[in-house]
Amino acid sequence: MINQLILNGIIAGSVYILVAVGFAVIYRTVRFFHFAHGVVFTAGAYFTYLFKAWLGWPVIAAIPVSIGLCAVLGVIIETFVYRPLRHKGSSSLILLLASLGIYIVVQNVISMIFGDDTKTIRSGIVKEGINMLGTRITPIQITIIIVSLLLLVSCILVLKYTKIGRSMRAVANDPELARVSGINSDGVVFWTFALGSALAGIAGILVALDVDMTPTMGMNVLMMGVAAVIIGGVESIPGVALGALLLGMAQHLGVWKISSQWQDAIAFVILLVFLLFRPQGFLGKRVKKVTI
Amino acid sequence: MICLEYLLHILILIGIYVILSTSLNLVAGYAGLLSIAHAAFYGVGAYVAALLALKLNSPFLLNLTCAVILSGLLGALVGIPSLRIHDDYFAIATFAFQIITFSVMNNWVSFTGGPMGLPGIPQPTIFGWGISSHIEFLILIALLCAVILWISHKIVRSPFGRVLKAIREDEVFAQAMGKNVANYKVMIFVIGAGMASVAGAVYAHYITFIDPTSFTVTESIFIISIVIIGGAGNIWGSVLAAAVLVVLPEALRFLGMPSAIAANMRQIIYGALLVICMLYRPQGFIGEYSFKK
Repeated sequence: MINQLILNGIIAGSVYILVAVGFAVIYRTVRFFHFAHGVVFTAGAYFTYLFKAWLGWPVIAAIPVSIGLCAVLGVIIETFVYRPLRHKGSSSLILLLASLGIYIVVQNVISMIFGDDTKTIRSGIVKEGINMLGTRITPIQITIIIVSLLLLVSCILVLKYTKIGRSMRAVANDPELARVSGINSDGVVFWTFALGSALAGIAGILVALDVDMTPTMGMNVLMMGVAAVIIGGVESIPGVALGALLLGMAQHLGVWKISSQWQDAIAFVILLVFLLFRPQGFLGKRVKKVTI
Repeated sequence: MICLEYLLHILILIGIYVILSTSLNLVAGYAGLLSIAHAAFYGVGAYVAALLALKLNSPFLLNLTCAVILSGLLGALVGIPSLRIHDDYFAIATFAFQIITFSVMNNWVSFTGGPMGLPGIPQPTIFGWGISSHIEFLILIALLCAVILWISHKIVRSPFGRVLKAIREDEVFAQAMGKNVANYKVMIFVIGAGMASVAGAVYAHYITFIDPTSFTVTESIFIISIVIIGGAGNIWGSVLAAAVLVVLPEALRFLGMPSAIAANMRQIIYGALLVICMLYRPQGFIGEYSFKK
């Protein structure tokens, strides 16, 4: 029982890692809460559904194309909404509000096209999980854990060692100084959104393969991602990953004592506690200078 | 007759949203505290009034008072973090509160009825005046709207309101002027939350059925849209935008749009308006504050 709960926590945590790392990569570069990240996650699942169920592509072909389209969606949002706003010097609150608007628009477009009922991209009969140490885990759940670990590690490596990664960190650190040093900051933000949105798309597809999709699936996962980012500390990607795991674990171990419908409440009480007492997260440095 | 009732129904809805957006405008537009939890206070008002009416069969005015007090207390609870965290981080904290409140409404089945909601809320009686028809509800909501607009108007014109604006523009400066910033912030949050619960209590007694889906994050974003499109920092902007944003989607029905699609279109319209506003006119239609920090 306890093993199964820990395992469920790790699976949930792995999904949150994918969403939270994508969200954090974007946040630390542009410094505002990109809520529309949640709807890019949803779009990933629905793109795959579109290619598989409507156009009859095999899933294997549909997935990479969908991930690419998610990156494109993220970049479109950045180019047509966020970039003009940034150039006008808008505050992070304005960008947050704009991203809420985008979230609402895209989610409703999805629900208009595909309907509100649950859609599936799983094929064949539901396989019984594999037994491991008295726990059950399905092949797709194993995939989720492996993919999320691989992408987490590659993300850290990309940010640390590649040219674009270094530029992202430079823009994150000081956009002005980065520009003075000859870094094209718009270009960097462009690739940041492409990378982050692709991660969101991958997460969306994996979740859809595990538990199907609805147009509202993004909001909840996004909020877990945001919570993980704040709990872990925006500055450190490993911190964000730890935050995501902690949330997943807390939610599922909480089931042991309280019934499972309180998972959201558990996560957000933890978030509130962190916001109040340690807003820089447990691995982060100061996220924001306190003005008083 | 049906046509008239429909018209009255729309007017009542406008009244409810005028109360919601005006109260949020006090918090977000005047004090600069962007809250994504307004639907939570709206919901608390509705649930408190409904539960009192159903379980204790208490009169409407008592329900209303209790709703305002409880929601105000919760408002203080949410307002207090604004002393420690600012701007978008505060918005996230209110977002968390919104999700927790929804979770309680949706999951505490034995008390709130959970997803099944609370049916059969009685229609109100005030000092023997039984309110049951649409026209009577319209009179009630118009009276409450008038009271709330009057209070809001008094607040923003008073020294209290000027301090709020000062806090919005420059918190450190307001504090340097010897103003107790903490007190003002929490106080306006309590007032805003209390006012939102009035809308909730009326809504519960009017529709006679409530369930958690009326008080979601999306509803909060809708109220924010009204405030911003109308103009943050101007009460009349909120009144105007509430009317326009409630009527506009209804117009879609007359264009023969199926109701399932009309519901989506309604959200697409206000989402798109929110984005367009941020891009081209962040101070809204007739507002004075554009969330600059």
